Amino acid sequence: MGGALVVAAGPFILDTYSVTILIRGFLYALVALTVDILWGYTGILTFGQAAYFGIGAYAAALIFTHVGFEPATILLAVGLALAIPALAGLVVGWLSFYPGSTPLYASVISLAFPIVVTQVIFSGGTFSGSSSGLVGYEVFDLSIEAWFWIVGAVLLLAAGAAYTFVKSEMALLLVAIRDNETRCAYLGIDAPRVKILLTVALAAVAGFAGFGYANFSGVVAPEIAGFVFGTVLVIYVALGGRGTLIGPLIGTVLIDAASSYLSGDLPYIWQLIVGLVFIVVIVALPKGFTPLLGRLWYAFSGQHDRQRRAAPALESQSMQPALTTATLEIVGVSKSFGSLKVLEDITLSIVDGELVSLVGPNGAGKTTLMRCISDGRERSSGTVRVNGQDIEGLPPNRVARFGLGRKFQTAGVFESLTVAECLRIAGTLRDKPSPRHPLHVLRLPEAARAVVETTGLVDSLLRQARLLSHGQKQALELAMVLALEPKIVLLDEPTAGLTSLERRQIGDILKELASRHRLAVILVEHDLDFVREISSRVVVLHQGRIVLDGAVEEVVGSKLIRDIYAGSGHG
Amino acid sequence: MHRDLLIAPMVVLFGLGSVGAAVGENPIKIGVPVGLSGANSVVAPSVVQSAELAVEEINKAGGVLGRNLALEVADDGSGAAGAQKAFDSLVFQKKVDVLISMETSAARNAGLPIVQRGKTPFIYTSFYEGRSCNPYMYVNAWVPEQQVPPIVDQFMAANNAKSFFLIGSDYAFGRGMLQFTRAYIEKKGGKVVGEEYLPMDGTDWTPIISKLRASGADALITSTAGGAPNVTLTKQLRAAGVTMPYGNLAVDEGTAKSMGGDAAGIFISASYVTSIDAPANVKFLAAMKAKFGGELKTPNDLSVPEYEAVYAYKAAVEKAGSTKVDGVIKSLADVTVDGPRGAIKMNKERHAPLTMYLGQVEADGSVKVIKAFKDVDPGDQCPNLK
Amino acid sequence: MSLLLDVVTTAGVLFAVAMGLLVVFGVLKIINFAHGALLTLGAYAALVTTKLGISAWLAWPLAFVSGGALGLVVERLIVRPLYARPLDAILATWGLGIVISQVITLCFGREVQFARSPLSGTIAILGDTYSVYRLALLGVSVALGLLFAALIEGTRLGLSARAVIMNEDLARGLGIDTQRVRLLTFMIGCGLAALAGALITPLSSVDPNMGVPWLINAFMLVMVAGASFLSLALASLILGGAQVIVSTFVSPILGGMTIVLLAAVVLRLRPAGFGRD
Repeated sequence: MGGALVVAAGPFILDTYSVTILIRGFLYALVALTVDILWGYTGILTFGQAAYFGIGAYAAALIFTHVGFEPATILLAVGLALAIPALAGLVVGWLSFYPGSTPLYASVISLAFPIVVTQVIFSGGTFSGSSSGLVGYEVFDLSIEAWFWIVGAVLLLAAGAAYTFVKSEMALLLVAIRDNETRCAYLGIDAPRVKILLTVALAAVAGFAGFGYANFSGVVAPEIAGFVFGTVLVIYVALGGRGTLIGPLIGTVLIDAASSYLSGDLPYIWQLIVGLVFIVVIVALPKGFTPLLGRLWYAFSGQHDRQRRAAPALESQSMQPALTTATLEIVGVSKSFGSLKVLEDITLSIVDGELVSLVGPNGAGKTTLMRCISDGRERSSGTVRVNGQDIEGLPPNRVARFGLGRKFQTAGVFESLTVAECLRIAGTLRDKPSPRHPLHVLRLPEAARAVVETTGLVDSLLRQARLLSHGQKQALELAMVLALEPKIVLLDEPTAGLTSLERRQIGDILKELASRHRLAVILVEHDLDFVREISSRVVVLHQGRIVLDGAVEEVVGSKLIRDIYAGSGHG
Repeated sequence: MHRDLLIAPMVVLFGLGSVGAAVGENPIKIGVPVGLSGANSVVAPSVVQSAELAVEEINKAGGVLGRNLALEVADDGSGAAGAQKAFDSLVFQKKVDVLISMETSAARNAGLPIVQRGKTPFIYTSFYEGRSCNPYMYVNAWVPEQQVPPIVDQFMAANNAKSFFLIGSDYAFGRGMLQFTRAYIEKKGGKVVGEEYLPMDGTDWTPIISKLRASGADALITSTAGGAPNVTLTKQLRAAGVTMPYGNLAVDEGTAKSMGGDAAGIFISASYVTSIDAPANVKFLAAMKAKFGGELKTPNDLSVPEYEAVYAYKAAVEKAGSTKVDGVIKSLADVTVDGPRGAIKMNKERHAPLTMYLGQVEADGSVKVIKAFKDVDPGDQCPNLK
Repeated sequence: MSLLLDVVTTAGVLFAVAMGLLVVFGVLKIINFAHGALLTLGAYAALVTTKLGISAWLAWPLAFVSGGALGLVVERLIVRPLYARPLDAILATWGLGIVISQVITLCFGREVQFARSPLSGTIAILGDTYSVYRLALLGVSVALGLLFAALIEGTRLGLSARAVIMNEDLARGLGIDTQRVRLLTFMIGCGLAALAGALITPLSSVDPNMGVPWLINAFMLVMVAGASFLSLALASLILGGAQVIVSTFVSPILGGMTIVLLAAVVLRLRPAGFGRD
């Protein structure tokens, strides 16, 4: 493309100084790409990519200085420049991403890491060169032009790979994690693991760029691994336009080149301007400048792209054999917050084909019970077995794998993704997203497909989820939960905020799920008419205990229910 | 489409580069990469002033081979990363004919590969740890063989010092100097009871000072980067009440003056002090005062060699008959400069025999000369370079 | 013994430096990454007193006022719009820090300079001689800590601030002008940062980038401390002490990263840090 032309022609048009500057800029741009994928696409603000770059550079310089420069040692250096940053990325990822970690903490770690790395370099004394850095080691003897072509080509390849990746299904997963990590967990997705793997992969890329740098410049100094450089990269990405790939790439090359041309006092004025513009961009233009320019070029602006694309084809697919039994056993479950008992000794058994409504006044503990069923770490005591598996201590994403789906009261969808993309990601557990191919075909199990078609979502496949109406979001979330092919489905107030038409649709769907698809459906509901219409069984919770459990007519007509709802009864 | 996005700025950048070359007459450009920011920033202004005076005097007298000299100063940040940028800019963008400068060893080491690639003559005017050799480089300042013995001998003789504590900045200079010092001390029968380092930009010497006080050493010898580290260390030493004999291998008169009373009592060993009683020095100091007046930064052992180096370059170019690098490199070994430090010729394996002065800093910051050693040999610095 | 004094005085310095950041984080729930640059600003205020030849003690009020004034402008323009975006607030204030550093460089020059100390000399204490200024600094930190604790507990502003810390929406609902509380708190936080800068210059030097290493340590201390001055003092003592011990017995270089490492580990094991949350 155009980029290849620039790289090919560069050394002929430009003078040596510019070429030198650009080669460095290309290497930085490679690292900036990794920052963009982490921050722009996955929402992880990281100051630490510089550290991996530095590690890669030092690995090369140390090997060449202390061991030597032969084919064997060169291979060793490349290997280490990839392996050590990857290992470091594993440690950093493990520290930063765990269930319950906050984005702030991840950023804190990404800040601490380059500091630790620079201090380690300083502590190496004469071995690592400390403040002097390492210099004078033997490197590849290439001409400036050759370097330009090689580095330029590598950058273009990397950019191409990155571009393919961000258009792929896997990138949708990253956006989903950024938008709603909780929803991902309940879809069985181990978000921390995804983030850690991403960190490791991108750390290796940054390390490789560092290897190139060590060879090209012949000097490595502690500053290249430092946190200041890490923040400079974030600034370049922000100014270029986070989440656009091409923006950070061009932004890094241009801004870095511009800074190198200024001498005297100008560098400080330039830095001042960059700093001011950066503040403005963060406060007012979170997407940077490139999208403004990019509006003229549809190819870069994702939204427009989607509108022109054809909707993915909808196909039915079932991974699981059609009929297996579903069982949910809850034995003696209690939940206390300090001295406040929210649930006491709940014992309940539900099997496939049942449509159980959980009712009770506010504060009875219904949602808490839902949480205790879907998250193995919630309850204070008792046992929960999902389809025969004890969920003891397991986080939601592990419980989901036993065949449990949970739909939240406030519809949890992925706001930045389209309906089709949301559904695709929902099926991650069954069908891993491809890191290469974009979404072409949407394969859904029967039940999910039925929801999509009945509720009319099939006509909005290309619509961004944030633009859906409340009822449509509810339907989408239900379809997403069903995309997992769960055997047990938990629904928290599925009719909240729905029109009467939508309520009827949902009711029919739920009944079908239980009767035809043989799922175990459990819902928390306040609308007693709805409950009476669709349920096969009603369980009444009051002040944390089960007070009634039986067939619909039995329960709905009972005096106890009336008392409870009127407020006069006391368990 | 991407092409337009990318080529336009490229063309602009290229244009910027070429415009600079067309304007102006044809002066001989002297590149001065120096630590305007960072550790060396305390002494850099004095270095620039020396260069400016030399250039002004030479131009007034008709220039070199009929051409004027022009200075290009670049900030090397006192470190490796900054030096790369500064050298790249001077050698490839500004296309200087020679590099004459004082820099930290970190900066020098980072710049040498670029000097090599650009085939530019480089006169290094800073004292340093020795044994840095490059076909394009000459050094007119001292190396440890010339500077360290006077101090150690003084402490051992006059203060009966047997145990020494060494403190330095953790980079080539700090380590190199103290390595030589340790070897010399042990050769003379003394003992080194501690050797501690901080990174070049470190400012908190507290734990090291505590170690010093606990070690029971008789004397202290330090080798930090020139400029800020000297000041912070001395300040903190005095604040902690350290009064033992203190030899500072890297402090210059200018920095000592700015330290006020804290510097009093420090022993230094230098190839230049302002009190050198020679006509050339008197003339030099008067010229500096006349040119810079109130803005004058005290000429010191880091800045005077810069002045002399410019003259050395002039002499070499005139001897070689042109600024072409091969002739200049050969001639630099043959020319003698009569400057404030006396007659200096860089004819000992790219280094120069120098007259060294052992002195002690007074309360007002000036240096009292205790002993002088004439024409001390630099030893075997670059045996492989002829 | 001098090691103990080293630990305690280092903790004092860290506490003084981190106080401003804690105040802002506790009430506004954002990290002011311009803290390092404000520190630098205060240090240059001290430099100004040296250059003008006036009493070095004047550096303190001069620094505090300059910091506060800058804080007023910054809160309105940068912090307020980013109220709901904490990560972006970190970035924007970092950008601000860059801007401040460059302005300082353009005004004062990029080289390293030195400010005079209001106190010098040593004093005999606990059978050892020790730097008077370091001890005085410890005293000042403790005094500042007590002053602000008194402020928080005893004044209207302090009460409002505590309410905002605990539950901002509720505080607003109860009629507290949370906007004003946030503004005043931010100004005080910036003033404190600048004051700390003036306090630490006599111990070292002044240059446009001196604030960055302090920012990192202060940041980690605040993360670990949570929202109370007491836990900050505790954190300063424990982590600062660890730094001194590692620097003295292992290596000063590794000592430099002790605070950062320990803080990261503590936060991983106990996300609330030393605070009570």
